[in-house]
Amino acid sequence: MSYLPDYPIVTPRLRLRPFTRGDVDAVHEYRCREDVALYLFDPPLSREECALAIHQRVLQTEFHQEGDKIVLAVEEVERARLVGEMSLVWRSADARQGEIGWIFHPMHQGRGYATEAARALLALGFEGAGLHRIFARCDARNTSSWRLMERLGMRREAHFREHALFKGEWDEEFIYALLHREWRTE
Amino acid sequence: MSGLKFPISTKRLALRPFDRSDVALVSRYHLLPGVQRYLARPSRYNEDVNACVDIMRNQIGLQRPGDTLTLAMQRKSDNALLGHVSLHWSDATAGQGELRFVIDPAHSGNGFLTEALSAMLDLAFDHFRIHRVFVRCDGRNHHSAKLMQKLGMRLEAHYREHALFQGEWDEEMHFAILDREWQASNKVRPMLPRDRLHERVA
Ligand SMILES: CC(C)(COP(=O)(O)OP(=O)(O)OC[C@H]1O[C@@H](n2cnc3c(N)ncnc32)[C@H](O)[C@@H]1OP(=O)(O)O)[C@@H](O)C(=O)NCCC(=O)NCCS
Repeated sequence: MSYLPDYPIVTPRLRLRPFTRGDVDAVHEYRCREDVALYLFDPPLSREECALAIHQRVLQTEFHQEGDKIVLAVEEVERARLVGEMSLVWRSADARQGEIGWIFHPMHQGRGYATEAARALLALGFEGAGLHRIFARCDARNTSSWRLMERLGMRREAHFREHALFKGEWDEEFIYALLHREWRTE
Repeated sequence: MSGLKFPISTKRLALRPFDRSDVALVSRYHLLPGVQRYLARPSRYNEDVNACVDIMRNQIGLQRPGDTLTLAMQRKSDNALLGHVSLHWSDATAGQGELRFVIDPAHSGNGFLTEALSAMLDLAFDHFRIHRVFVRCDGRNHHSAKLMQKLGMRLEAHYREHALFQGEWDEEMHFAILDREWQASNKVRPMLPRDRLHERVA
């Protein structure tokens, strides 16, 4: 069962749309930063690595099979500038599970943009793609990320301690989740 | 990671590797639905019990990551086979191990698993130098949850409807304990009052 969303997705202040080749510099501007990469799986990216990532993302806009990713650019409507990125991964077809993620330019954090974009992507996942449960993961020290999860009404389902090594240190991880019926009643 | 001597003796149990001749005893509980629910590889027929015992009797040590050590729980007083406990070495660099267990329902509720799993935790931390041991169990299995807390394990995860199991929504709990936490407690804890068993993930 494929799902092909209509783009762009428009919220009061933002537009979520597929990436285009012209986005490389705007993405490199925040993905090259140490502070942004601190809790991300990827280290800071070079311009070439960003170009490669964008090349892949241009096609990451639809769900056709388990494992597919939808990765979208988040644009401020008012100034038509790219402020961050959102992703939704189709983790399980039979159990209808998805994983949501977000990365924003520090210059555009603290305004509720991530919350606004995440709400739109949750709607896409639950209503559009018919997902049953959407989860998110983050490092336990990544306070702004898990506070965002709580703002979205997600529940903390896991707190793993020292279950793996991350960048040479013991990892501590949170998993938050939201069921379709919980999202509706929120 | 060898040098283990069997059986490992606890107060009432001898923990020892399986033997071909255990098949008949294992069949007495292995195919019960309540036991099957928690197995990694479910089986339905008697041939499967044969195959299962064949696998288990070769799980006698942890040489490399991915290996499992499986020991039969034999009651000393009458040599009855009560079930088994196993330790799976899931990750070498991060020193992770997973405990699994099966008990014949006819013998549950007597503290045999507490005794066997304590011995397995000693083995995991002292002998195999594992850093963290975890247990996964069905979210509705209150017996297991109680047992884990008695052993001093922390509830680390409680997933709801994260997967389907035989056509129904599944619920899963993860409990874990670190080497330093086990050294610190080392003794089986008194039981928590019932209402504290299902604490939220902290
Ligand atoms: C995680 C991340 C996306 C969160 O960004 P954020 O800007 O804090 O999140 P929001 O857009 O929801 O903004 C919330 C903040 O804006 C404030 N805000 C202002 N106007 C708001 C509005 N209209 N609505 C909601 N919040 C608003 C909130 O009070 C909150 O501020 P506070 O954190 O000081 O309390 C961001 O920190 C990030 O990109 N980090 C680096 C990459 C990363 O680690 N990603 C996650 C990996 S798991």
